[in-house]
Amino acid sequence: MAKLAIEAENIEKTYRIRQSIDYPSQSFKDLLGNPIRKIRNKSKSSSPSTTLETFYALRGISFKIDHGESVGLIGRNGAGKSTLLKLLSRITRPSNGRILLYEKVTSLLEVGTGFNMELSGRDNIFLNGCFLGLKIKEVEKKFEKIVEFSEIGNFIDTPVKYYSSGMFVRLAFSVAAHLQPETLLLDEVLAVGDVGFFDKSMSKMKELLNSGATIIFVSHNIKAVEEICDRVIWLDHGAIKMDGPSEQVCKEYMEYCKNN
Amino acid sequence: MSSIFPIEITKPKKYELPNFKELWENKDLILLLTKRDIKVRFQQTVIGMGWIVIQPLIQMVIYYLIFSIFAKIPTNGVPYPLFFLSGFIVWQYFLQVINGCAYGLVSNVSIIIKSYFPRLALPLASILSSFIDFTVNLLLLFVFVVLSKFTFSLRYLLIPLVLLILTLFSSGVGMLFGALMVEFRDTKNLINFIMMIWMYLTPVMYPLSIVPEKFRNLFFLNPLTSIVETFHWIVLNQNTFPSSTNLLISFLIAIIIWFLGAIAFRSMENRIADVM
Repeated sequence: MAKLAIEAENIEKTYRIRQSIDYPSQSFKDLLGNPIRKIRNKSKSSSPSTTLETFYALRGISFKIDHGESVGLIGRNGAGKSTLLKLLSRITRPSNGRILLYEKVTSLLEVGTGFNMELSGRDNIFLNGCFLGLKIKEVEKKFEKIVEFSEIGNFIDTPVKYYSSGMFVRLAFSVAAHLQPETLLLDEVLAVGDVGFFDKSMSKMKELLNSGATIIFVSHNIKAVEEICDRVIWLDHGAIKMDGPSEQVCKEYMEYCKNN
Repeated sequence: MSSIFPIEITKPKKYELPNFKELWENKDLILLLTKRDIKVRFQQTVIGMGWIVIQPLIQMVIYYLIFSIFAKIPTNGVPYPLFFLSGFIVWQYFLQVINGCAYGLVSNVSIIIKSYFPRLALPLASILSSFIDFTVNLLLLFVFVVLSKFTFSLRYLLIPLVLLILTLFSSGVGMLFGALMVEFRDTKNLINFIMMIWMYLTPVMYPLSIVPEKFRNLFFLNPLTSIVETFHWIVLNQNTFPSSTNLLISFLIAIIIWFLGAIAFRSMENRIADVM
């Protein structure tokens, strides 16, 4: 039997939606066990001006992903794809249910997380690398390769704020491309840079995909999903509508989109 | 390393303590964040780290003029600059740590919503960078000790302990503010006022001896008072120790506040990605 990478058991994520904009902090009053809320509630308990409505961003999500699988997450806007990715990357916690991570998860939700404009390219490579879960020593080992790949050259010690946007993206992508993740969570961050660099980054991406890592890939680009993933989970209104081989799920999804 | 797996992610508990093991595993990140804080602060400044020394010096001159020359406040025969600096470096550190911890979550939101790391790394990094400032200021104080022809005694060995109490207390208060700030942006405005009042209620610019006797015990409700007074006792060679009971009480208060702060911070870090 294959080794498990991720297991999700009946995850639920709810948000409280405020129905009035009367007082900006009211929506946060659902803070469990926060003393401030209790004080506030006492003093404002008679105020009927706001009602909180529970919104289910995700509910009843269960799945198992084996090590080495590449899974696509598709669905319309607001279906809960990004929320699920955030839960898996531990940025936010579920409201119910549980997730088990059996290997190190690296999430790439944007290119250049933690980049600081004032700092040099060199400093940012380290900072970004650490935010992506690397140790300083690991970044040091890959440093030369990252710089070379980014084509930044002599500008590596220049503050990033003087970079062109292309240079910035190239550097940021290079750090991400040199990760060696066990499980990689990807939010549509693939297309970057000019044409030449785009080809280079695509082939690097594919290399990453073929390295045997577990991949979870969120995208609206059904073609890319079909190309990359063996399995696809289709989310609809916060629930799993379909989970199966990518060809089949993508086909159903396309048809569904046409008819609705 | 594989022993930490599987990692279980569930809904946040009502109260959670910081995960110290995880923090330790992320020491590289904490180090880099500290470097970032320091570098960014002195980026594009001409005298760079010199500002660490200049700030207290300028304040010293101002307060020297106001309190010593104009208001003629007695400092028990101690030169005012030395008196001022020995308390002010404590205050400066206190203020810096509080601000660093308080703004830790809010000013790094763009990173928090895109990547996972123990959020406590943010205040920790700011404490470390404040600590560097403190060390520089301490050296400055030593210069003034020599210039004022005071001697270094064994009392100086107490500094690490006092510093520990100070760090626990200020980061605790800072984390409480930081947690509040996520929820209520009003906190930003409030902090400035609170800190201003707090400074005047701490015997930094004036000696405790000019405070009427009946209020002095009230002053010691503020843990910072015993910390500053201990510093005065160490540096100024005054005969009376501010009372070890008061210092002990401050220590206890500091520990309690730290845990309260850490718990509040934890509960907020679980929600910050949803709130902001």
